[in-house]
Amino acid sequence: MAEANSINGKDLRAMFEAATGWLEKSSADIDALNVFPVPDGDTGTNMLLTMRSSIEESYQAAANSASGIARAVARGALVGARGNSGVILSQIWNGVAQGLDEKDEITGADLVVALVQASKTAYNGLSNPVEGTILTVIREAAEAAEKHAAEVSNDLISVMEATVDAARESVANTPTLLPVLKEAGVVDAGGQGLYTILEGALHYLKGETDQLKLRRPWMVASSIPLTTRVPQMVGTADEVPYGYCTNFVIKGAELEPEKLRKRLEKKGQSVIVIGDDSAVRVHIHTLDPGEIMHYVNPLGTLHQINIRNMDEQYRDFLEMQKERMPEVDTAVVAVVVGEGLSQVFVSLGTTIIVPGGQTMNPSTKDLLQAVEAVPSEKVIILPNNKNIVLTAQQVQSLTEKKVNVVPTKTIPQGVAALLAFDYEADLETNAISMYQALSEVKSIEVTRAVRATRLGGLDIKKNQAIGFLDGDLVAVADKTEDVFTEALERVEPDKAEVVTIYYGADSTAAQAEKAAAAVRERYPQLQVEVVQGGQPHYDYIASVE
Amino acid sequence: MTVRIITDSLGDIPAGVARELDITVIPINVIFGRINYRDGVDLTTEQFYDKLAASKIFPTTIVPPLGRFADTYDEVAEKTGDILVITNSRKLSASYETSVLAKERMHKKCRVEVIDSLSAILGQGLLVITAARAAKEGAKLDKVIEGVRNNIPRVHTRAAFDTLEHLRQGGRIGKAKTFLGTVLKVNPILGIRGGEVYPFAREHSRARALDYLYDFADGFSKIDGIGVEDATTPDEADELAQRLQARFPGETIYRSKISPAVGAHVGPRVLGVAVLGDRD
Repeated sequence: MAEANSINGKDLRAMFEAATGWLEKSSADIDALNVFPVPDGDTGTNMLLTMRSSIEESYQAAANSASGIARAVARGALVGARGNSGVILSQIWNGVAQGLDEKDEITGADLVVALVQASKTAYNGLSNPVEGTILTVIREAAEAAEKHAAEVSNDLISVMEATVDAARESVANTPTLLPVLKEAGVVDAGGQGLYTILEGALHYLKGETDQLKLRRPWMVASSIPLTTRVPQMVGTADEVPYGYCTNFVIKGAELEPEKLRKRLEKKGQSVIVIGDDSAVRVHIHTLDPGEIMHYVNPLGTLHQINIRNMDEQYRDFLEMQKERMPEVDTAVVAVVVGEGLSQVFVSLGTTIIVPGGQTMNPSTKDLLQAVEAVPSEKVIILPNNKNIVLTAQQVQSLTEKKVNVVPTKTIPQGVAALLAFDYEADLETNAISMYQALSEVKSIEVTRAVRATRLGGLDIKKNQAIGFLDGDLVAVADKTEDVFTEALERVEPDKAEVVTIYYGADSTAAQAEKAAAAVRERYPQLQVEVVQGGQPHYDYIASVE
Repeated sequence: MTVRIITDSLGDIPAGVARELDITVIPINVIFGRINYRDGVDLTTEQFYDKLAASKIFPTTIVPPLGRFADTYDEVAEKTGDILVITNSRKLSASYETSVLAKERMHKKCRVEVIDSLSAILGQGLLVITAARAAKEGAKLDKVIEGVRNNIPRVHTRAAFDTLEHLRQGGRIGKAKTFLGTVLKVNPILGIRGGEVYPFAREHSRARALDYLYDFADGFSKIDGIGVEDATTPDEADELAQRLQARFPGETIYRSKISPAVGAHVGPRVLGVAVLGDRD
């Protein structure tokens, strides 16, 4: 659909469908994130199935007004909710429906009301709301929407953009709120799912059907350095016996969900009770599902009873995590920071990324954990920073596995080493050819001086751009691009073939393209490639080969 | 009676060499939309890549029906009582299965043996050429078969790619799928191993990829055959062939083109080198 200031009920349904389609594309990735509260590993699937139930119900809607569709969506989610995340999602749609009550069409202002109500309803449905989950994401997204509408614009699309941006940040931040996520090295799966749904809705509102068709949702990366990307064993002291995840719907009259929840809280954990007097959905973790069934049976008729052993779910989850890792004879563990750079390393065959780099060096333990986690007895570590080489070498004596450290001191060296990795060769041969590859690449790093100083015969003012060539300071100037060009001059670019520029989190693609264009103009024989690195501190990291 | 060799068109044997050595090549069909072309007969490599560039449709390939194989066997059986069929790797096409089944369907009385080359492109081609030479020199069928079996582990192929998109679309990517989705622009070097497409290396520029192909051939201590073939970049292939000729002055270097049926799966700008060299 074209851009619009308001949407009607049919648009709303189409928007939910688009969002569901968007979610579907990454539901498997979201499954792999899941570690909370038990690692049942199917959050993405559960949310997707919940959304599908909503869509189905929306076609049965009594009225085609926005509020009619929203109510149908909420009802569909209630009866179709699966898992914790599905249940909370159904609460969110319930809140949205309340917020849109009696609306024929939805404006930006209506969206704000709906989101704020969704956040409230979601919190109210839980006996013990936990921050760092989908709850935090809906709350922060709603707050951002409210603020944006009040201070910037209450245009529908503009509000939705602010909502999606806030949701993304909120997802990235979930590991700082929830230690279990931090330990596991993932963001909250339910939060990621909600963000994906909101983003799909935004694409629809903006008429970006090509995006919906051709692109895939981005998985949000954690905002804090993580130990490894492989979930550790998660066991919180107060929830040692996992027991059974028990789900069912009770239909009847005067069910009084509030009262029911208070009763059930005494009988189990992670209790969620939502619905109204005529239909209630229950989710509870209990050691004795029979007792729960026995208790609720007299209240009404029971439907959609689903009891699963969570220990089994956890085992399956761990197996799934292992399967998702590429099967390799020799695994590669690399220390990388920045979403783009991490993607570069993963796409070149890195088995596990240990987040870290300048100013955030991982510990030996972090690296050891990653080495132990890979499904291979032979491991190559790429430290990619001179301050991490020694730490990496420590790992060799701490593990039974055969570990070789290729002492890469920069990101470009790490990439060059990975490109030299030979799937056929054994560990030693690979370590040697990867080491040899280091001499074929020059690394340029451009950053800003944190204080005034004098170094390598150059006077540096605070905040000036400074350029390093293979770790040596070679250029100082006010403009980053000038420093980059000057550093490049030092490597005899007319003899080089390929220059790859990784631009950092603080630079834009346009700036990087401009710098690349300048290089191309000056050295037409060079193949210049620009890649989003997303690294902190360094505006540019470049390799010259 | 001289043993006659039959193969499918996926071995990229230069037409002149096939004529000279009496090699019968069964064309694989290349399908563009609804139009069916016989590989190398109705469609040259140049015509194919022109069509590929102009067409929005992804071409597909199909091994001709059993009957076509059986008819070919019967035709060749007019001239010999011993036929050896050397096929494309059965992990890459249905050529082997069809060749075996076609034996039952032929009318003439003739001994027909079928061997899976476990290879493709000029790797398969070198095996066929070497077998045809032995046959021409009077080797009996069992001897020729023994020769092919000995040579299979000695054949090595590598090819430089610009993109793996065509391989992926055609479902022949095998283990090289680990090379998919690279954020950086890299030039993958693939080869055939155990009858399947296998990822060997990644180079960061075309020039380096070509150097890799040279170094690959250069690394053999003993060579009994080299082939160089291109899809759309004959100048690059000629230059590489010249470098290799300078390195191996006594060797015949077979210079060939990627056939349309292979081209449908590998896409443009593929440059391949095959070597009959040391044992694995």
